[in-house]
Amino acid sequence: MPKIDTTDTLFFGLLGRTMTDDELEQILPVAKAELDGHEDGILKIELNDTNRPDLWSSAGVVRQLKSYWGLEAPLYDFFSTREEEFESGGRTLHVEQSAKDVRPYSVGFATRGHKVSEDELEALIQSQEKLCHNFGRKRRTIAIGLYRSDLITYPVHYRGVDPDKTSFVPLGLDREISLREILTEHPKGREYGHIVADSPLFPFLCDDKGGVLSFPPVINSDRIGAVEVGDENLFLEFSGMDLKDLLLAAAIMACDMADMGWEILPVKVIFDEETEFGREITVPYYFQEPISAPLDQVHKTLGEALDGESVVAALRRMGIYAICDDDTIWATVPEWRNDFLHAVDLIEDVMIGHGLGNFEPEMPRDFTVGRLSKAEEFARKIKDLMVGLGFQEMMYNYLGSRREYIDNMRYPEQKCIIISNPMSENYEVVRPSIIPSLLESEMMSAHSPYPHKIFEVGKIAYRDDRDLSGTVTRNALGFLASDRLMGFNDVTSIIATLSYFLNIEYSLAALEGDLRFIEGRCARIMVGEREVGVFGEIHPQVLENWGSVMPTIACEIDLDLLRE
Amino acid sequence: MDIDVKNLHPLEVRLLRHVALGEDITVERIMAELGYILGQCNQAFSWLHAKGYLSEKSRQTRTLFELTELGREQQQNGSPAHRIFSLLKAEGPKSLPALSDALALERSEIGSAFGQLSKAGAVRMNSDNNAEAIADALGGEFALVKTLLDRGVGGALLESSLSDGEKAAMAKISKKRGTANSPFKTIEREDVIWALTEAGGRAKEALLAANIRGDEVGQLTVEMMKDGSWRDATFRPYGLGAPTARIIPGRRNPYANYLAWVKDKLTALGFEEFDGPLVESEFWNGDALFMPQFHSARDIHDVYYVKEPRHRASIEEPWLSQVAQTHEDGWKTGSRGWRYTFDHEFTLRQVLRSQGTVLSAKQLTNAKIPGKYFGVVRCFRYDQVDATHGADFYQTEGIVLGEDVNLKTLLGLLKMFAEEIAGAEDVKYVPGYFPFTEPSIEVHIKHPILGWMELGGSGIFRPEVTKALGVDVPVLAWGLGIDRMALMHLGLSDLRDLFSANIEAVRTRREN
Repeated sequence: MPKIDTTDTLFFGLLGRTMTDDELEQILPVAKAELDGHEDGILKIELNDTNRPDLWSSAGVVRQLKSYWGLEAPLYDFFSTREEEFESGGRTLHVEQSAKDVRPYSVGFATRGHKVSEDELEALIQSQEKLCHNFGRKRRTIAIGLYRSDLITYPVHYRGVDPDKTSFVPLGLDREISLREILTEHPKGREYGHIVADSPLFPFLCDDKGGVLSFPPVINSDRIGAVEVGDENLFLEFSGMDLKDLLLAAAIMACDMADMGWEILPVKVIFDEETEFGREITVPYYFQEPISAPLDQVHKTLGEALDGESVVAALRRMGIYAICDDDTIWATVPEWRNDFLHAVDLIEDVMIGHGLGNFEPEMPRDFTVGRLSKAEEFARKIKDLMVGLGFQEMMYNYLGSRREYIDNMRYPEQKCIIISNPMSENYEVVRPSIIPSLLESEMMSAHSPYPHKIFEVGKIAYRDDRDLSGTVTRNALGFLASDRLMGFNDVTSIIATLSYFLNIEYSLAALEGDLRFIEGRCARIMVGEREVGVFGEIHPQVLENWGSVMPTIACEIDLDLLRE
Repeated sequence: MDIDVKNLHPLEVRLLRHVALGEDITVERIMAELGYILGQCNQAFSWLHAKGYLSEKSRQTRTLFELTELGREQQQNGSPAHRIFSLLKAEGPKSLPALSDALALERSEIGSAFGQLSKAGAVRMNSDNNAEAIADALGGEFALVKTLLDRGVGGALLESSLSDGEKAAMAKISKKRGTANSPFKTIEREDVIWALTEAGGRAKEALLAANIRGDEVGQLTVEMMKDGSWRDATFRPYGLGAPTARIIPGRRNPYANYLAWVKDKLTALGFEEFDGPLVESEFWNGDALFMPQFHSARDIHDVYYVKEPRHRASIEEPWLSQVAQTHEDGWKTGSRGWRYTFDHEFTLRQVLRSQGTVLSAKQLTNAKIPGKYFGVVRCFRYDQVDATHGADFYQTEGIVLGEDVNLKTLLGLLKMFAEEIAGAEDVKYVPGYFPFTEPSIEVHIKHPILGWMELGGSGIFRPEVTKALGVDVPVLAWGLGIDRMALMHLGLSDLRDLFSANIEAVRTRREN
């Protein structure tokens, strides 16, 4: 979940008032946000809605809070639409076809009339990072660049270029190197280069005189791309894979910057090919479709018969202009949002805008029968018997190491479900059996008085080609006992007792080739023709592997088979 | 001082009653007069001394020599040296092996005895390399040994009763330890003379006053029942301050008990339990929950992927087609969808279940309406394991299906959980975000001990989730974070302890 840092100065400056931490904690939930910390003049805010990138900045959070308080939002009157375009004043961005295969889209806008302060520059860079990282999937689908507009000669060109024949001085270096070299020699190249590395042409942004802006999505140039505190006229460029995502990111940045005091200047983006919004788009561009929700669906979902007027007022508090017509709510999606996939998304905004505290909890009225699963009922029966037999119930993790489940047990690896991206070798294998878990207890409990008698009823999982997943998960009973004199006959008595009280007939069959047990001192438990479990005296080599010197017996029974 | 004579052992009682102030009290006396065996005497002295009822008057160390098994045997049959000498006298010279065979003695014993005899000039090895007797009779030390053996039969010999010559001979044939090869065992005995103390005297008076005799019965026996002797018996009362012996019982795991309690609560509230496999496909783990395939929570750094088999063979229809279509353009759910091309290979990729909601979604394909379902299920997350993150952990999740469920019934449900499961005093709801619910609500509670905490997340399943899985009524979905309450219940502070493999820790863990 995105987290932002912001200075008190910037946040409360935008808000137009200061607030205590308590007050903030009270109000932030309307932006699905939490105060994560506040010290040394820095507010830390966590944003829970991963589908609301507009909230991942001070300006965005403040915009939501102000509208909730009913304060009139600034008019973002710089958005062009399909019907109405603003004059771009000669600022043009030409998106050439040559970049189509590697990163097809680029859009941009410019600003003037406000000198960027240190706080604001940090905020802009943070917005850029959050949008690129969380919304733009670590720059794969969105990368944003900030540039010094004064140094640019329009039109700006976005194109695919030969990475070996194109070079410039990237930010952070003092010499010219090729785009290809940036992939290995620049830290940002090493971090983001993989996004374009396999492509024959790399994305490239330059002005009409060949002045380099950047190598998107990797790194800016050290001249046009080096924005500093005090700069006034900026150019912002957004490159990526999906036009709507880019237009939304541009809209969010434009609104944020307007809130901070800039004048937003449109840029005409000209594409070589047709797009869903035509070949020419003047950015910032309003592309969102209106969203509607029938009033009765609002009622049904919220359980409250709000009239049209209340719904419209609630949405207004969320910054959404809506009308109620013909028992349907028609809402204009704000320029900075595009998270309305379904009417329910609008209804949630009604809920928040109306105030969650204004909905009275009601008990569900339907009668339903509560019931434990058959497996749980059986497990409880088994547990009672095991406890009666003097065993201590244990509970274990289901992930472990190769050493525990395979090497120590002399157990075949091909039966085990192994994780392909383990975080640590300690948690790399799903346990195929409870027995290694029980032996882990032996390993660490030599000082606990003997006899040890322990068991677990839990899940095991292993590979099995008969299932569509190639694996099965089973409910199993595993038990272990260890003492100076402990052997085969101690287990058979326990199994006989379990079978008597469970009223299940069983027989024993020879178990061969199971290296976990001493040959000839282990057996398979058969119910009819089916093997439901194994038991035996743990092989001394296995005991030694676990660092135990105490004779040990263990048994494992498949409870799902036993129950059938 | 009030003397608790009821706690005295019968051995103490009888001794106290038998002796008087000023008398010498010794092991010999008590053994003779009260019929105690040595061990009982020592126990009684030690206990009474610890209580301050007896004091040590004097202590002397004596050395005694006691015949061993070997010594008794030699006393009867003669020592090896005697037997060799007698045989040689009676039958003439013999080789050492012949002696060994004739006397049934080990060669080494023959060798060593012959050495002694030879040194004393009683035998010699002749020119035929046979042993022959040269003295008329065995005297000197050999005679002393025989005398000592004979005297030893009558009881242990006091060192002070031996002559200097006897002492020298005894030193060669007695040992303190490892006496199997030695005719005598050396015993050092401390003779202590005890005396009754003032306190002991008062204890004796108290015993007499309470008429405690020390012949009270310590244990009722079957025999006493059968022969009726219990009628004449008095029973020794138990002291109530004695330490108790540890029992290690068979026992349920306290965390399992807590989870069972949660399950019982939920079934009591009308929920039916579900469960499922640990290995899931991306389809159920994310796609069916309308999380776009490029969602950040579906990253390689959030979910554990299964190495082999990498992919599930297939996904059940019509769910696959309906879910895929819903992602792409909303299908018939009323949604515009995520607008991307659904990856039909990625959806088969196998993972370890990362959230319990997976099973809630699966239950939708098989649910009754109205219906309430829950599961307490193990999940796996790509997290560094520490005090607040386990490699795998339980999630408590569930759903409520019904024509008339809505936000207000969701709030009611959460309130019920807060009160019934958490024992909460106060409940607060805030808007939340989950990819699969809209609206989404987080519930915070004021726990009586833990204070304000987040109890869980919930919401109404998105129509993109329910409709694509064949359900047309609204579905409330909820998840409860019960681990913190479980830790408190068990008096723990580290999540890893919930799955402790340490037997002693689990054996001794209590529930609050």
